[in-house]
Amino acid sequence: MESHPPMTTRADATGRHRKRGNRLGFWFFKATIRLFGLRGAYGLVHLVCLHYLFFDRQSVEATMAYIRRRFPGRGYMARILGVYRILVNQGKSLVDRYYLISGLGTFEYEVQGYDEIKRILKDSDKGLVLLTAHVGNWQVTMNSLGRLDNTVRLLMRPEDNAAVKETLDVYPHGDKVKTISTASFMGGMIECAKALDNGELVSIMGDRIYGADWTTARILGAEARFPHAAFTLAAATERPVVVVLSGKISTKKYSVDLSHIIRTRYTSRKDRQKDIEKWVQEYATILEEYSGEYPYQWYLFHDIWAGAERQAPPPGHGGDGS
Amino acid sequence: MTQDKEQGLAEVREKIKKLLVEELALEDWTVETIADDEILFGQGLELDSLDAVEIVVLLQRHFKVDIPDNEMGREIFYSVDTLARHVHKNLNPGDS
Repeated sequence: MESHPPMTTRADATGRHRKRGNRLGFWFFKATIRLFGLRGAYGLVHLVCLHYLFFDRQSVEATMAYIRRRFPGRGYMARILGVYRILVNQGKSLVDRYYLISGLGTFEYEVQGYDEIKRILKDSDKGLVLLTAHVGNWQVTMNSLGRLDNTVRLLMRPEDNAAVKETLDVYPHGDKVKTISTASFMGGMIECAKALDNGELVSIMGDRIYGADWTTARILGAEARFPHAAFTLAAATERPVVVVLSGKISTKKYSVDLSHIIRTRYTSRKDRQKDIEKWVQEYATILEEYSGEYPYQWYLFHDIWAGAERQAPPPGHGGDGS
Repeated sequence: MTQDKEQGLAEVREKIKKLLVEELALEDWTVETIADDEILFGQGLELDSLDAVEIVVLLQRHFKVDIPDNEMGREIFYSVDTLARHVHKNLNPGDS
């Protein structure tokens, strides 16, 4: 499942992203949920995912890059089965999302770290940076954050905005969730800084790079590429980064983890690169551990390890202000 | 351009230079060595996108002035002078 965009995207050979899922598909799942309930829809997901397993080569290859590192001792068939499990879980996640936003029912949440976030927000009139990943279920996470009164701003590419808007239009907390486009001067950082200053929560996807600004960190035994915008924004605005992750525990229950808070302050100007690398590594370690608890719920439909052996560009290289 | 406006602009320029040197910890520069039309990114002060985010925050914090999130923002970020003119214009809307 794509966390910020409601439909999964995947990059083709040219770097463009195609959507997996469309309105008709969602309507079909919604009708299935109404007729057969959640479990019935899950059954259908198993069949649909067989199609993706056989014909969606890019997603399978990208997911395989993760499975190979997560389960290094496994043979080819076991790895293929692992890819299938991830596809199925992502499908279930989509079903859950529509179950939730259609008002057909709700889920139980087990939230860790909520009180600390509440305390931080109470102590200041400024906002927080939320660093998410393609783990678990975005709607569920947003629902758990809906208990906070703060508006959430999702930083995302413009091509994902329309899709997100479709979801937010029918989403219970939609009026409190807004988007910031990366397609502006400085990649949306100006709006993000303003939002934080206004006490809003800025949500940034931490496990997929779209632009030039990225840093490598070690995860699952190898260097991978991660965007560092969340940390540069947090350091500039002197706000903490809260890592937001979720996982499905049972059919009607999710776990949401907000307990990891990364404090960002540059030690010195010349050490900014090292500071950013340290923060990104901290995030990667948290992500590795959390996804270890839910190994088939990390929907990494792109290879974060590809190209990481190259020297990462220094922070600021190719930046919009330069 | 009136003398008052020129003086106001010069004061803003000095404040911006001071902020850049102190807040961005520019070790090789002082307020005196930064020219009024010093280029911010690429050449001149050789700032990068990390600095750009910090400048946005500094301007919001010290002058309550925003940088537009569009092409105009790019022009404003060209030099100390363009930055100062933007700040001055926003602090003194009647002067423009």
